[in-house]
Amino acid sequence: MARRDSVIIVGSGAGGSVAAWQLVRAGHDVLILEKGRNLLPGLGAHGRIGSRFGNDEVKAERFFENQDPLLEPRTARTQDEAGRGLDRSFTGDVNDLPTIVGGGTVHWDAKVPRFWRQDFKGLSLHGPVPGANVADWPLTYEELEPLYDAVERRLGVQGDRARMPAATLAQAPRRHGFAMSPNPPMYGGSLLAKGAESLGFHPYPFPQAVNSRRFDGRPRCNSCGYCSGFGCPINARGGAAVSFLHHALRAGARLRSRCFVHRIDLSRDGRRAIGVSYLDRHGRRRHERADVVIVAASAIETARLLLLSATPKHPGGLGNRSGQLGRNLMFHHFTQAAAFFSEEVHAYRGPSTTVTIDDFVGPDFGDAANAAGLPYLKGGICEVGGTLTLLAEAKAYAGIGGVWGRAHKDLMRSGTVRNHVAGISMIGEDLPQLANRVDLDPAIRDVYGFPVPRITYSPHVHELAASAYYQPKLEAICQAAPGATSGLAFDTDAPAPGALPSTRHIMGTARMGASADSSVVDGFGRVHEIEGLVIADGSVFASSGGFNPTLTIMALALRAARHLG
Amino acid sequence: MWDERFSRRSLLKSTGAVGLLALVAPARVQALIEEVARSGADGRFLTAAELDTLRAVTARFVPGPPDDSDPGALEARCAEAIDLLLGAFEVHPPLIHAGGPFSKRAGGRRDDFAHFVALDRHAALGWRIRLEGSRGIKKREFAGPVRGLQQIYREGLAHLDARAGGNFAALPGAAQDALLHDTTDARIQELVGTALEHTLEAMYGPPEYGGNHKLVGWSYTRWPGDRQPRGFTDREVSEPG
Repeated sequence: MARRDSVIIVGSGAGGSVAAWQLVRAGHDVLILEKGRNLLPGLGAHGRIGSRFGNDEVKAERFFENQDPLLEPRTARTQDEAGRGLDRSFTGDVNDLPTIVGGGTVHWDAKVPRFWRQDFKGLSLHGPVPGANVADWPLTYEELEPLYDAVERRLGVQGDRARMPAATLAQAPRRHGFAMSPNPPMYGGSLLAKGAESLGFHPYPFPQAVNSRRFDGRPRCNSCGYCSGFGCPINARGGAAVSFLHHALRAGARLRSRCFVHRIDLSRDGRRAIGVSYLDRHGRRRHERADVVIVAASAIETARLLLLSATPKHPGGLGNRSGQLGRNLMFHHFTQAAAFFSEEVHAYRGPSTTVTIDDFVGPDFGDAANAAGLPYLKGGICEVGGTLTLLAEAKAYAGIGGVWGRAHKDLMRSGTVRNHVAGISMIGEDLPQLANRVDLDPAIRDVYGFPVPRITYSPHVHELAASAYYQPKLEAICQAAPGATSGLAFDTDAPAPGALPSTRHIMGTARMGASADSSVVDGFGRVHEIEGLVIADGSVFASSGGFNPTLTIMALALRAARHLG
Repeated sequence: MWDERFSRRSLLKSTGAVGLLALVAPARVQALIEEVARSGADGRFLTAAELDTLRAVTARFVPGPPDDSDPGALEARCAEAIDLLLGAFEVHPPLIHAGGPFSKRAGGRRDDFAHFVALDRHAALGWRIRLEGSRGIKKREFAGPVRGLQQIYREGLAHLDARAGGNFAALPGAAQDALLHDTTDARIQELVGTALEHTLEAMYGPPEYGGNHKLVGWSYTRWPGDRQPRGFTDREVSEPG
């Protein structure tokens, strides 16, 4: 490399860890500031990485890894409520992700599909959608492909290219096979796969960063079943911390946990990032200088930080000449289906799901789209064959009509959902809208004394129409599964009072684009018109695709870091 | 009432009576519970009388013998587990997050779950607010006042007894259900919402939190519980049965 830069990275999750790994190997001086604490003993040391996580459903709900909404609340309202001048209708946990070293990937189930070619060129391929802010990305699948390859190699991804549908490989070509063969297929998912095949659909093993053999010094997955939403007790899953940050720290990157960055500091002329201001673990105000600042705090917190960093020269927040900062907030819109079996299908054994179907990614240009006044409908990839763990099941019954007592106990005894259901979750694409946004709440402050992020969100009619369109297809798969007695599908994220999308996939608040007039960053994550400021997380997505986003976050972070040299 | 209780605890602490309990190793949580499980003893936070009322509430949520053939919340010691949560800070580390990665139930050499994870300063503040409430303390009220779980239980149980004519636990089961279902009484519903969630956690969560005594919640549900480090075999994952 030509020179040794000092780099500060805000956030140690999917984007930040990948950027750190790349930059420290390129010889730069890397400091990572993370708001959460470190729950992985031995991370960055020379022995084995440990874990403080267990197969423990109680701890997972007691904010062990997630941020505590009493200390760091977020607020929310619908577009309609915003239109009526309501400041907020909810205060608390709004799509909170783990706030710890390693970020969300500490408790992900490591599903790593690639985005498709069409996801990057939605506007030019399929045209605009009324009421949505559809745009092309300033890059192509072909540019990302080698980065996907590199990230997958480091994560350790299992899959079977030979069983992937031709249509998938045409949209997301793979030069290389997978590092590992698939996990043992989960029984309930296999039954659903048979049902899908009988209807002409194309199920295949879900690519996932789960060890089916020993890899990178970490053991093989033993299918314990506490996967999505649980830290792995044996580190059999790849992720930001164990696959990237661990190696970055060993190569000399420095990590400071419990540091809350509240401002990006600019040069006097406002044209260059020169460092950050933060509160350290003792609550002391600190400043740190750097040649480059990389923000990777995830889409809600990144937008908040750029808004908090407003100056007289940047009154609407950094990189916001376009007015797009904080806007185009996207979640995924989940549609759920359940197949009921008289036999016990134990769909709680395994890494949440081992099968996927991507026949419903779309776009579909048929009558249903026309009837909804839309040019097309898009669904998403499906997680096939999962169910609920015991306490989650107990709370689900209690949450439906406040069931308790003998009726609740009978449901628990038979394990209606836990033992007899194998489900499908469709990760529906969420179209970007200007009115779906993150801004600063005018009144509520967090424990650090700063305005909390306020989320304004309503689904576009597209998401509702797409869910309605794909539900009968999901139901048909459930009903066609061998031994299934019935199947039903429902829109998990249908608008309801006080309800926000259930997913923790958050994207789009600092979209990338070719021009400073219509986007916040360029194709390398560089904030328009501010030197030395880069965004490397899901904020930069111009569309949400119908796919789990983390692999693409990592590929984009690698691209941004490589571009820095 | 809460303030009285607080003063009494402080007094006991200063004389060492509770101070000794704070030195008890977290691996002995079960021993703490044994002590409280005998009716008539005060809990870590709740009084003996409050515990009796709470036991009656949890028994309506998850009934046991004679109403149901399988053990219920009483046998699982759900009320005692809730009391441990309310008094979590009386033991160090506080009884909030069980340790990891393994218990001894699926091949682990020792019960890591029983070694609770210490909270750092930041996490401890959150849990102090959640359990004790903001109580007018400035550094706890940055986002407005918060009612603590201790307050919700203490006031809710007292209100429930008052609505029951003095002693909720003495009412017949059907009358208890009718009161708990009174959706016109916001104070009862606040208690029901909170206690139901905690009862289910104590019934069906790992026993290190004080509930699920003798794994009763995992017995009639035939739930394998925590599975590490054994996991499931390929055959158990992929085959029927």
